[in-house]
Amino acid sequence: MAPSADPPPETNGASSSKEPLTLYEVSTQYKHWRFSAAQLEERRRRMNEVAVNAIRQVHEAEEEGSSCRISFLTFDEELLLVKQYLTTIPKMCKLHQFPEEVEATAMSFLKRFYLKNTVMDWHPRNVMLTAIYLATKTTNNPMAIDQYVANIPRTTANDVLELEFLVAQSLNFQLAVWGAHRAAWGIWLDLQTLPEWNKEAAQGAYAVADEYVSVSRLTDAEFIYAPSQIAAAAWHLADPALLEKWLAAKGESGALPLIKTIASLIEKEGKAPNLAVAKDVDARLRICKNPEKVEGSKAYLRRQAEQQEEATAKRQKKAERAAKALADDPFASVPIDGAEQNGTKIGEFDMDDDD
Amino acid sequence: MATNPKLAWLKGPTRPSTSSARPSSSRSVSKPGTPGPGNRPANGKPGTPSAYHNAINDPSGRMREYSNKDDKCPVCTTDRYLNPKLRLLVSPCYHKMCESCIDRLFTLGPAPCPICGKILRKSGFVAQTFEDLDVEKEVSVRRRIAREFNKKVEDFPDRKSYDDYLEEVEDITFNLINGVDLPQTEARIAAFRAANAALIEANIQRDSVAAAEQAAAEEEDKRFRAEQARMAAREEEDERTERERERRAVIEGLERGEDAEGVLRRTRAEAERRTRRAQELAAQQQLARASALTAFARPAKKDVIPDEPHIAYLDDLLSGAERYMLKPSYDDPVSDAARPELKSRWTIGGYRQAESWQRAVSCAVMGLGLGTVEDSAMEVDVGA
Repeated sequence: MAPSADPPPETNGASSSKEPLTLYEVSTQYKHWRFSAAQLEERRRRMNEVAVNAIRQVHEAEEEGSSCRISFLTFDEELLLVKQYLTTIPKMCKLHQFPEEVEATAMSFLKRFYLKNTVMDWHPRNVMLTAIYLATKTTNNPMAIDQYVANIPRTTANDVLELEFLVAQSLNFQLAVWGAHRAAWGIWLDLQTLPEWNKEAAQGAYAVADEYVSVSRLTDAEFIYAPSQIAAAAWHLADPALLEKWLAAKGESGALPLIKTIASLIEKEGKAPNLAVAKDVDARLRICKNPEKVEGSKAYLRRQAEQQEEATAKRQKKAERAAKALADDPFASVPIDGAEQNGTKIGEFDMDDDD
Repeated sequence: MATNPKLAWLKGPTRPSTSSARPSSSRSVSKPGTPGPGNRPANGKPGTPSAYHNAINDPSGRMREYSNKDDKCPVCTTDRYLNPKLRLLVSPCYHKMCESCIDRLFTLGPAPCPICGKILRKSGFVAQTFEDLDVEKEVSVRRRIAREFNKKVEDFPDRKSYDDYLEEVEDITFNLINGVDLPQTEARIAAFRAANAALIEANIQRDSVAAAEQAAAEEEDKRFRAEQARMAAREEEDERTERERERRAVIEGLERGEDAEGVLRRTRAEAERRTRRAQELAAQQQLARASALTAFARPAKKDVIPDEPHIAYLDDLLSGAERYMLKPSYDDPVSDAARPELKSRWTIGGYRQAESWQRAVSCAVMGLGLGTVEDSAMEVDVGA
C-alpha cells in the first residue's frame, strides 16, 4: 500500500537489519506495562502475601495473637474492589464532563497503581479520585482542584493532592496511556476506505463497539494486548463480518484468532462486580487495612507517641548531662561524650546545648 | 587570657598549672594525664598557619581560610574569648578541632578522632576554606576525582559515550560525597584507574603542558606590556628634551639676531618630522603586538566532534502509515457531533483535524500483529 501523508523514512531497510519498531512498541506502555495473564495473577498474589504479612506484624506488635482474628483480603477480593471503583470512574467523568480520554487514562492509572500497591494500604476510593485528577492533567484537560472537589462529597482538595505524588510514583511517572478508544475511532475512520462502505450499518456497529471498548477497561486486556487489538476485538463483537473484511484489507487476517480470544475475554470479564459482594469486601477492608496508614488509629497514634517520647527522653538526658557537667566543671568533656553517644554532628551540638 | 590573673580559675584541668607568659602557646598544652613526653615543649614544627596546608590551592590568593568570631573548638570548648588566636582545622573525617587539641592528641602519632573514632594523623588536618563542611568535603572529593577522571571530550568517539562517562563520574562523586556503597565505589575508581592508566597519565601531561603554555602566554603578554610602557615613557622623555632643546635653539637664534621667519620655518619643519616619526613608531608597535599575540595563541582545535541533537521524528520508527491511505475527509460523527468542544478547539491555530484522524488510524493499525508476553519470561518484582 502506498504511504499517504507521512511516508516512512527511506533508509528503513538500509540503516539496520532489524525490522524497525512501531511507535507503540517503543512506548512505556509496551515496555513496562505488558504482562501475561499468569504474570498478572502471580504479581497480585505475591503482593497480597507481602502486604498481609506486613500488616500482620503491625497487629502482632500491638497485641500478641491479635492478627488471627482478622480475615485479610485475598488477591481476587482486592481485584474485585478495584474493579468496583473502576466502574465509578466513568460516572465521575460524566459528572465533570471529561472526555473519554480522561476516563480511559484514569482507569489505566488505577489498574496500574494496584499492580504496585495493595488495597489494604491505600483505599481505592481516594486513589480513584487522584487518578482522575492526574489523568485530567496528563491528557491536557486540566481542571482547577477546587472546582474538581466541589462536586465530590466528603472530599477536600488535600485528600486528592496528598496521594498525587504517590500515584505518579507508583506509575513510575509513565503517564502516557494508549487507549483502545482511539484505535476504535481509527477503525471507524479507516473502514470508510473500504469499497463496501455502508454508513448506516457501520454507524450502528461503532456505537456497539464503543460500548465494548469501555467495558474492556474493566478487564486486564490492556496489560496483555495492544490497544489496536482490543479495539479490533470490540469491533469484532459488534460486527464480525465487517471487521474481518477490514483485517483482510490490512493484511492482518492472522491476528483473527487472538482478536477472538480478546473478544471472549471482554465478554466474560467485562462486567461490573456484584455490588453486594463489593460492599461486603469493603466492610471487611475497614477491619483489615494497614493500621499504620490510617490517621488517628491506635497504631498510628502509638507510633507517633513513641517517636515523641523518644525525642523527649533524649532531650532530657542531654539537659541533665549538661547541667551536671556544668555544675562539676565548665571544661568537662561533655561535648565529646554527647557527640559520641548521640551520634550528632558537631555543628548541631552547639544549638542543642543552648536550649 | 593566661596573663590575666583574675581569670586564673578558668584554667580547668586541661590547662597547665603554670600561668607563665606564654601568650600564644596553647598548642604546647597536653593532657594532664599524659606522662612525660606530653609535657615537653612542642617539637620543631610549630602550629603556625604554614604548618597545615590549605584545603584549596588557590594561586590567585582570593580564597581565604574560613574563620568566625563565634568559633569554638568542639573538643576542648575553647572559644575566641579564651584564645583570641584560636584556629580550627578540619580532619579527614570532616570534624573540626583547634590546633592545641590536634597537638595534644596527635603529636605522639596516629590516634582516634575524639568525635568519630577514625584513626587520624596530624598531617591529615587541613585549614577550613568554606563555612559549610559539606561544601568543603564536596570540593575535596571533586578535586580528587578530577585528578584521575581527566578524560576530555576528544578522547571519545562520539558525544553519547562522553555523556555516559560524565554520568559515571558524577555517580561516583555522588557516592563518595554521600558515603553510598563506598567499597564498591572505590573498586570502580580503581578499575577505571587500571583501565585508563596510560590515558590518565597522558592527560595529566597534556593538562600541564596546556597550563604551562597558558602561563607562558600570560607571562609574555605581561612582559610585552611592561616593555611597551617603558618604551612609551622613554619616548615621552625624549620628546620632552627635544622640545626643550628646540625652544632653546629658537631663543638662542633670536638672541644671535637671526631672521625670525627663518627660525620659525626651521622649528615647524622640525615639529613635522617629529610627528611623522611618532606615527611610524606607533604603527610598528601595533605590528609587533599583533605578531606577539598570534605567536602565543592556542592552536585551533581540529577534529571537532559534531554534537548532533536527537530528532525524535527522524527515528527509524513506523507509525503504521504503510498500512493505510488517509482520506482527505471522513464521515466523523465522533468529532462532529459527540464532541463539539473539540471541534471548536480544532479551529484554533495549530490544530488540524487531519492530524487527529491520522493519529487515530495509526493507533488502529499499530500492533495488530503483535503476540502476547511469554509466560516463561516471568519476573515478578513486588515492592514491600
